[in-house]
Amino acid sequence: MTVTDTRPSAGTGSQPVPSPAHRLIGLPAKIAKSPNFARILFPIALFAVWELSLIAVEEIWPFAVDVLPTPSEVGGFMWDEFITDTLARKNLYETFFISLRRLLSGFLIAMVLGTALGLAMGLSRATNAFCHDWTMAILAMPALAWALFNSIIFGFDDRGPILTVILAGIPFVIVNVREGVRNTPRELFDMARSFKVPQSKVIRHVLVPSLMPFMFAAARYCFSIGWKGLVIAEVFGGQDGAGWTIKFWYDAHRAHGVVGYAAFFVIFAILFERLVFEPISRRAFRWRPQISTEVVEEAFGEHHEHYGEEETARH
Amino acid sequence: MAEIRIKNLHKEFGVGADKVVALEDVNLEITGHSFVSIVGPSGCGKSTLLNILTGIETPTNGTVEITSDGHVAAPGYVFQAARLLPWRTVTDNLMFVQDDRSDDTKERCQRYLEMVQLGDKGDKFPGELSGGMQQRVGIARAFSIEPDVLFMDEPFSHLDAITARALRRELHHMWDETKKMVVFVTHDVGEAVELSNRILVFAKGGRLEDDIQIDLPFPRDPADDEVAVAKAHVLRKFEELDLLAS
Ligand SMILES: Nc1ncnc2c1ncn2[C@@H]1O[C@H](COP(=O)(O)OP(=O)(O)OP(=O)(O)O)[C@@H](O)[C@H]1O
Ligand SMILES: [Mg+2]
Repeated sequence: MTVTDTRPSAGTGSQPVPSPAHRLIGLPAKIAKSPNFARILFPIALFAVWELSLIAVEEIWPFAVDVLPTPSEVGGFMWDEFITDTLARKNLYETFFISLRRLLSGFLIAMVLGTALGLAMGLSRATNAFCHDWTMAILAMPALAWALFNSIIFGFDDRGPILTVILAGIPFVIVNVREGVRNTPRELFDMARSFKVPQSKVIRHVLVPSLMPFMFAAARYCFSIGWKGLVIAEVFGGQDGAGWTIKFWYDAHRAHGVVGYAAFFVIFAILFERLVFEPISRRAFRWRPQISTEVVEEAFGEHHEHYGEEETARH
Repeated sequence: MAEIRIKNLHKEFGVGADKVVALEDVNLEITGHSFVSIVGPSGCGKSTLLNILTGIETPTNGTVEITSDGHVAAPGYVFQAARLLPWRTVTDNLMFVQDDRSDDTKERCQRYLEMVQLGDKGDKFPGELSGGMQQRVGIARAFSIEPDVLFMDEPFSHLDAITARALRRELHHMWDETKKMVVFVTHDVGEAVELSNRILVFAKGGRLEDDIQIDLPFPRDPADDEVAVAKAHVLRKFEELDLLAS
């Protein structure tokens, strides 16, 4: 039986109209199906499991309570940080500002250098052969190793963390831009040539837009990988910044501080994705036919409803 | 008035075992107010010939020359697939191939969009249009530069019969009015006979097999006896070639 078979029966009104009471019973089911409910359910479940497992551990090993932070402790810590009431040398905003400055410096340098190298490697076989193995080697190196090297070389200033961001992020930029150049739409360049469109216009209206999806993927990877690299670099070679501060709470034996700061990292990354990358991407890719996950979800939702109708019809 | 001169044109792709001969020793002259149709089986080098004439491909051997009143002619090309910039709106796709952005030019683009019945779709992106609509944008784009020679590669094959007929009439009208040259590739012998005053028949391997003049008055009605006879004649040529090939 296919989905289309059930459509006419839905339209002919052969089914009884649900009574208000029926609808009330149906309401919880509707809430449960909504994506927002599912979204909220996740943290609630997480906190419940967290709290319950702490209770369980406490039963077995009473001393653990001093070490393992409870959700309320972490929440309290995060709130204090939020209102800049902190024991650390710099408050939350100063700390994240310092890290963000380093991240953006490294990110921009990696994007510019990586784009130049990626273009060269995409356009020239010789350049590609020369750089390929090095790119792969940098890609394979863990950010931790870069962080250690750089703190040995530069000591405790901005250069180490920034260089770590560059080295962690640049292979992704190079590889993506190179693939972008290799995938440029030949038939559109040919079209432009036959109409004798000047080169500068072709670069602006054909080459650059065709590279955009690849540049975007490059930027996203470079940013998120660079961010992780930066935090590690600050743990080993920083006097301040987000990585240094999480280490500070660790050294101070404040587990709730470590967990709370880790949560700030996640929040920071999500905010950046939502407030920076998503709006830019929506603008840049306006021309793409709208195929969002929402549409897929709706399609599945409809299937479920049709199955439901089928069942009630059979009863 | 435009002139096309093709001398000893030879085109092959690939080397060694992969070598494909797309065009073999083609000699051809097209002059004046011609509407030339190119017909032949799939893979006989029709698109390759247009690509060489529009400067996308270079010949392996031989020369091609397209002039208009002594200077290099401006070609317009309707591709077999629409080839639009997906990230630009329909109007911007037409503006992309223009020399300037003056109000006159914008008006002209709009006029040709209306000709292909897409006057209200200027702000859409190609991805929001159907395949046939995209093909029509490609036709409007080629018309909009008012070229000396218009090259068309199966421009109507993806369109419904009614739209295709309307556009055929439009094309004929433009050709008649502007006295420009049209070089038109098609699979459809009926279409070729209806529109052209000269039909070139290509065979597998890229050889020019036949050069048929059709001097019937326009407009041509497919039901008309003389048109039907001409069509039967071209189809018979086709069958002969098929027999030769097998
Ligand atoms: N860029 C290319 N590289 C290699 N071979 C090619 C290339 N372009 C065309 N060919 C080959 O040249 C021959 C002629 O191709 P062409 O596209 O001109 O055929 P066509 O007559 O336009 O066919 P159709 O009617 O199917 O469009 C074919 O055998 C094709 O495989
Ligand atoms: Mg073709």
